[in-house]
Amino acid sequence: MLFFSFFKTLTNQTVTIELKNDIRIRGILKSVDQYLNIKLDDIEVLDLAKYPHLSSVKNMFIRGSVVRYVMLPRSEVDVGLLEDATRRAEAANQAGKAR
Amino acid sequence: MAFFGFDTTLPRDRDGTGAKGFFENPDPFADIARANALGDDDVIDFEDTYDGLGDQLSDDQDEFNDDTFGGTGADTSVGRDFDFFGKTAQVSDAIGEEQVRFSLQNPNATRVAPQPAQVPVQPAATQTTKRSGYEKYSDPDYIPDLQAKSSVWGVSQKKPEPAAAAPAPSRKMMSLEEVEAQMRFHGHNTATPAAEAFMRSMVEQPQYQPQLQHLQTLPDGFPPVPPEFIQAQMKQGHLPPQIPHPPPGMPELYGGPKHMPPGGPLHMMQNANLPPQNMPPPGPRHAGPPQAQRPQQPQPPQPLPHQQGPLGRVSNNGMPVITNPQQLMHLTEEQRQAYLVEDAKRAKRNHKIFLLSRGNGLMTPQDKNFITRIQLQQLVAAAGNVADSDPEAVLAEDFYYQVYSQIRGAPRQHPHQPLGHFAQTYLLQTGNRLGGHRRGNFQSADNHMQRMQQQVQRAVEAAKAKPKNKQLIIEGSLGKISFSNAKAPKPMLNIKRPDSSEGPKPKKQSDLSLSDRKSILTNLEGVYSALMAMEDMERTMPPPPEEGDAEAIQEHMEWRQKLHSLNQKLWRSLKVMEPIVPNSTTPHPFIAFLSYPKGKKAIPRIFRHIDQEQRVTILTMIVVHLDSLDVVRLAQPVPGEAQPSLGVREAIDLFSLAVMPCLLGYVNEAPFNIIIGLLGLVINQTHVQSVARTKVGLGILTMLLSRAEIVKEAGQASEHDWQQWVEKFNVLFDTLELGLNDIFPGSISSGDDMYVWQFLAAVGIGASPEQQQRLVIAVKDRVMETVGYSKTLPADMGSQRLNNVNLFMRAIGLDVELLG
Repeated sequence: MLFFSFFKTLTNQTVTIELKNDIRIRGILKSVDQYLNIKLDDIEVLDLAKYPHLSSVKNMFIRGSVVRYVMLPRSEVDVGLLEDATRRAEAANQAGKAR
Repeated sequence: MAFFGFDTTLPRDRDGTGAKGFFENPDPFADIARANALGDDDVIDFEDTYDGLGDQLSDDQDEFNDDTFGGTGADTSVGRDFDFFGKTAQVSDAIGEEQVRFSLQNPNATRVAPQPAQVPVQPAATQTTKRSGYEKYSDPDYIPDLQAKSSVWGVSQKKPEPAAAAPAPSRKMMSLEEVEAQMRFHGHNTATPAAEAFMRSMVEQPQYQPQLQHLQTLPDGFPPVPPEFIQAQMKQGHLPPQIPHPPPGMPELYGGPKHMPPGGPLHMMQNANLPPQNMPPPGPRHAGPPQAQRPQQPQPPQPLPHQQGPLGRVSNNGMPVITNPQQLMHLTEEQRQAYLVEDAKRAKRNHKIFLLSRGNGLMTPQDKNFITRIQLQQLVAAAGNVADSDPEAVLAEDFYYQVYSQIRGAPRQHPHQPLGHFAQTYLLQTGNRLGGHRRGNFQSADNHMQRMQQQVQRAVEAAKAKPKNKQLIIEGSLGKISFSNAKAPKPMLNIKRPDSSEGPKPKKQSDLSLSDRKSILTNLEGVYSALMAMEDMERTMPPPPEEGDAEAIQEHMEWRQKLHSLNQKLWRSLKVMEPIVPNSTTPHPFIAFLSYPKGKKAIPRIFRHIDQEQRVTILTMIVVHLDSLDVVRLAQPVPGEAQPSLGVREAIDLFSLAVMPCLLGYVNEAPFNIIIGLLGLVINQTHVQSVARTKVGLGILTMLLSRAEIVKEAGQASEHDWQQWVEKFNVLFDTLELGLNDIFPGSISSGDDMYVWQFLAAVGIGASPEQQQRLVIAVKDRVMETVGYSKTLPADMGSQRLNNVNLFMRAIGLDVELLG
C-alpha cells in the first residue's frame, strides 16, 4: 500500500508517465487506485509526432500494469517521510511474515 | 371457397387469389354485407347454409357445449374471475331454470327464427357458428353475452357492429340503445314483430330482474350492463323484482308456439348461433318446469368427475369464492378455464409464499443483526476501507499519505524536521477521535449506529488478527487457490528467500567490524526503528494521571517504563558509548553514523527523545571527533579548488541544518563548566587549525565562545570558572592566530564567509584588548578587501558583505564606517 499511499499525495500534480510501449504522457494526476491505475487529465503526449492518434486525447485512464515509470515533481516528495513510511511498511511486512 | 354455401370471398378477393382457403376472409361482416346486397331472405339463407350437423348431436350434452367449444365472449373477462364467481353465485339458480326454459323453447325456435327480429342476427350467427356453433349461455347472462359474443367477430370489429346494424333496425341486430328506444316507443304496442318480440322479452324480463341487478352491481368482471337498460325495464312496470324464482307458470308463457326463445331478440342477437336444429327435442325435457327444474339441478354432476379434480385441488388452496362445485358447473367454459388458470396461478403463488415463509421466525432479530455484522465486516475488509474504523490501521496502511497530507496541510517550519510535526498531528488526531467517541457516548440517539460501528470495528480487527492464509489448497484439487483482495492483490511472483541466512548474519558482522558500512547502516536502521517506536509510544501516551487514580498512575508508569526501554534501545543503537579507540583507522561508530545523511537527519529526532545527559554525551562525542567528522575532514580546503566538492557541500549544509541547531540548542542551556570542558576537548583532542578551516568546525567554536560570553555577561560565571575559561581561550587564540587568514573560504569573491565573521566576532568579544589588536592585525587585509570588494557589488549584496564585516568590527568596538 506504500505506493498507493505515495501516489495519492501526488494527485493534482503534473507527472510524466512512461508506458511500457514507450509512450510518454505528461498530465495532471487525477487519481490513483490500489492497482496503481492512473487517471490523467490535460494530457500532453511527448513526442506526439510518433503517436498522432493521441493528439486529440485530453484525458486518459491508464491501467497500472502498463506503466513503466512515473516521473514525479521532486519538490512534492518528502523524502524523510517516505523513508519512514518505507521502514514502517517493511516492519509491517516482517511482522506479517513472523506471524 | 364457399363454406356454408356462401361465396364468402369479397370482391377484392375474387381476382384469382382465392387459394388462401377459408381464413383468407377474415371479415366477419362479409356475410352481412352480402346479405344486405342480395336482399335475400336471411332465414332461407341460413337454412340453406346450415349443414344440419347439429341434429346429430345428442341434446343432453347441450349444457356443456360451451365447455366444448369455448364461449369466446369471456375472452375479455379473463383474469377478472372474482366478479364472475360473484355473478355465478347469484345466477346459478336462474341458470338452472333457464336451462329448463331453454329446452322448452327450443322446439319453437324453428318457428321463431323467421321472425324479422331474428333475421339480422343470422349472418353473425353464421360467424359464431364457425367458432362455437352452440348456444352457450342461459338467458340471464344475455346482457353480458351481448358484448362477449360480439368479440367473437373479431376484436377490432366489435365496436363497428352496432353501428352497422343501426341503419336497418328492423332487419339488423339491434344495439342496446335501439332496444331501449323501441321499448320506450312502443310501450305495450305490438306494432312490429320486433316490438312484439321485445314485449315478450320485457315480459320475461322481470323474472330475471334480480339477476340483472346483481349483474349490474358487479364492478367490472363482466361486460357492463347499461344501467339505462335496467331502468327502462323498471319503468315499463313489468318487473316484479320480488320474484326471486320464476313462477311455476312461467314456462307456459314461453311455451306458446308464437314465442321466441326466452332471451328474446337480445338473446337471439347474441346467440343466434343457436339454430333450431340444434335444439334438443322438446320431449324429454319438456316435462314441465317444476319437474324439469329438479332433474336439471342434479344433471350437471354428470361431467363433474372431470371437473372435480382441478376444482377440488384449487379450492383447497384457499379459494373461498367457490364453495360448491356446482357453482363451477354453471360457469362457461372460458370462465371456468379462466378461473382454473387464475386459481392455479394463485395456488402457485400461495405455495411459493408458503415455501418462503416456511423459515419465518427461525431467526431472531439478534441473529439477523449478527449476520448483518458479518456481511458488513466482509464488505469493509474487502474494500480495504478501514479509514473510519481504526486510525492506527490507517496509519499503518497509509502512513505516507496520512502524514504527508497532515504536514502539507499546514506550512512546515522546518522542512528537514518533519517528525515534530507529525508526532503532534498524531496526538491531535487521536485526541479528536477520542473526543468524538466520548461525545457519541452521551447521545443515545445514534447509540445503535455507534454500537454497530464498534462491532464492525471489532469484527474487522478480529478478522485481521486471524492468521491469514494467502493460499488454500483444497484436498484433491490440482492447484492452489490464492486469495486476493484490494489491499493485498494476488502476488504474481512468489519468491522464497532462505530465512536462515538472514537472521544471525548481521550480528556477526557487527561484531566483526563495527564500522563496516553495512553494520553502520544496520545501526542506522536500528536507530530509526527505535525512533519510530518511540514516536508511536509518544502518540499513545496515556493522559496524565490524576491524584488517587491508581490505575491511571499504573498505566502511566508502565508507559514510562516502556518508553525508557525504548530509549535505551535507541541509545544502544546510536553506539555513542562505544569506547573511543585512540589512533584507530576506523572512525567511531557514532561518527560513522553521522557521516550518512540519514544519520545527520536522525539527530533532531533523536534529540527530542533523549535527556540532557545523553545530549551532552552526543555533543561531547562530536566535539572530540570534530576533525574526523566527515563534514570537517572532507571540507578541508584543497589547494587550487575554491570550495569542496558538491557532495561535501551538501553534507555540510545538511549538517548545519540538521545537527547544528540541536547542538546549539543544547549549548545555549549548558552550564558553563561543560562549555569549558568542551573547549578544552577541542584544544586537546583535535587539530584546531584544520578544524577552524571548516564551516562546521568554526560553527562549533563560535557556539562555545558565544555561550561563554553570554554566561559572562549574565554574571553567572564564577571567578574560578572564568579563570579556567580565559586560560583555555588564550590557548585557543594563540593556536588560531597563525592561521587566521586561512579560515576564510577561498577567495574574497567566493561569497559565503559570514560564518567566519561571526566566529571572529565571537573571538573578538571574548578577547582581551591586546588580543583584539592582534586579531585586527591578522584580518585587517581581509577586512579592507571585503570593504573594497563590496563597493563593486550591487548595493544589496555589497551592504550584506559590509554587514558581515561590521559584525566583527563592532565586536571589537569598531565600525566599517570608520574605515572610510
